Amino acid sequence: MAVETQRMEDFRLEAEPYYLPLGNEVELFEAAYAANLPVMLKGPTGCGKTRFVEYMSWKLGRTLVTVGCHEDLTASDLVGKYTLRGDETVWQDGPLTTAVKAGGIAYLDEVVEARKDTTVVIHPLTDDRRILPLEKKGEVVQAPDDFMLVISYNPGYQSVLKDLKHSTKQRFVALDFDYPTPDLEEVILQEEAGIDAETASKLVKIGEKVRNLRTHGLEEGVSTRLLVYAGQLIAGGVEPVVACEATICKPITDDLEMQRSILELVNTQF
Amino acid sequence: MSTQGGPTGNVGMYVGREMLASVPEDRRDDYLRLVEEISDLKYQLGVEVARQLPRLFQEQDDTAVERYLDQVRSIADVGWKSGVEVAKQLPDLYHAPDPRIADAYIEIIADATQGTPDDDETQAFSSELEDLERQLREIEPKQQRAQELKSLLAARDRRDEKRRKHAQELAAALPPILARLRARHREVYMREVRLVASADPEAALEAANTLLDLLNSERLSHDGAAEWTRRGLDVLEKNREVGRGYFRMGSKYSLDVLEELREGLALRQVARVLKLYATALSGRDVAVRGIDEMETVDRFGPDHIILPADMRFFQDDDRNFTAYKVAAAHGAARIEFGTYRFQLDDVPETVEALTERYGNSAA
Repeated sequence: MAVETQRMEDFRLEAEPYYLPLGNEVELFEAAYAANLPVMLKGPTGCGKTRFVEYMSWKLGRTLVTVGCHEDLTASDLVGKYTLRGDETVWQDGPLTTAVKAGGIAYLDEVVEARKDTTVVIHPLTDDRRILPLEKKGEVVQAPDDFMLVISYNPGYQSVLKDLKHSTKQRFVALDFDYPTPDLEEVILQEEAGIDAETASKLVKIGEKVRNLRTHGLEEGVSTRLLVYAGQLIAGGVEPVVACEATICKPITDDLEMQRSILELVNTQF
Repeated sequence: MSTQGGPTGNVGMYVGREMLASVPEDRRDDYLRLVEEISDLKYQLGVEVARQLPRLFQEQDDTAVERYLDQVRSIADVGWKSGVEVAKQLPDLYHAPDPRIADAYIEIIADATQGTPDDDETQAFSSELEDLERQLREIEPKQQRAQELKSLLAARDRRDEKRRKHAQELAAALPPILARLRARHREVYMREVRLVASADPEAALEAANTLLDLLNSERLSHDGAAEWTRRGLDVLEKNREVGRGYFRMGSKYSLDVLEELREGLALRQVARVLKLYATALSGRDVAVRGIDEMETVDRFGPDHIILPADMRFFQDDDRNFTAYKVAAAHGAARIEFGTYRFQLDDVPETVEALTERYGNSAA
């Protein structure tokens, strides 16, 4: 039998990702890292959770293994499994095992989407044992001090059927994220989309108004990410109303009346 | 039985081979012809004569054959069943010791079969019966027509009964409806409902409710209401049930007519978009209400804005929608900033809230 592992250097960020701190999240994350505590990022989609982890990975000089969780993701997918390569049975480390062995940051995005058995492998990593049992291999991997587990979790998506158990939630330091305040979001848009202050201000106002509809038929408001997309299209020469329709109205709802009301908000600005 | 061809036609159907064989050869054609002639009177008669004739031919007595056939025919004329029996018995009687017996036998059977001649009374009965039957034949279409008229009158009676019942229902329903009707629509409303009521009280019940909504909500002008009613009466005249559906607004045609007559943009078409728009602008849950609700809700309530049921400022709906949008934005701003809740003591708090929300430029 042979063991295959991925090259960890592939997971190291070379350039500094753009991230504008919204509060004390950077300091909290650094403190959690120093104390070997796992972190849970809570917040709506597109508010900057993933960018924040990338930024912290770069800032701490750690590799970052990101796993986008989905409903078919099993514990084996995370920790690894035996696979056939020709006549040989090969153990293939999963991304979580790779991250643990390398001592980087393992980021499980939208962890609640994964199958329930994944929490079984997460738990021993999140308490003082900091171990990852590889049951199929009969091996236990001890996480080095510089390993950190980060999960993200969108409370707006959860339901009775899909929610993190309290026994899982209470193993993490939680950092709350939300959409940036208007002045910060304007700066982010200018930086990320390369648009002028006036356009950024208008987009932020649209975002702010659309977010008012969150409890009136919209599951979530328009994300900063979508506002950045709108800005990028505008910067690329697309007419602002058309850009906003494509990046704001249509992605966030299929309700035609809702789309029209949002478009009217766009028309008010542009 | 065997079939025989040649000149004898159908007689072969009931002349057996052995019968024909027993007829002298030179008389066979005569035999077949005579049997065929007698069988034309009655099939059963032909069968019996075919059985008896060979013995008479064998006796070579043409007179006996002729007498036999005449006597059989004479009885068959008054009753063919007696004729068959006579055809069977008669040849034996020709050989009776007393040659008068056969003739006497024929007379008895003839009288017995024929009965006594008709008397005057029977003739009168028969004539009267024929006359009555003719009259009955003549009267039959009149009876049918009378039945039709009875059915028609009964249907009309039922219809009138229904009409009175619906008129009574209309009498009970109209006062509370009138109480909800805006005064300025009263004259038009009464005129149109009366037109429908005179045509069909049941349809008038539907029209009374529908016109109340259409006029109170300003969805139809007075002229539009008159035209809407006129079109409905046309439908009602052709088909009562479809007409009632029209006045209930339960038919596509009714809705199409309403759409055709509508002037401006109806609030109901854009109410949700405006509600979402106002909610997004103000950050509060804003309800949009039509002007027809103004009497039942606070005009400047903190959770709703009142808008016209129709926007008719412009010819095109896009511009009418923009007008709605302006009105909705105005209402949303009133709700967000509490225009009609302003009190001098609140100024510091208001300034602080605005500064927090919009920065120092708001102050």
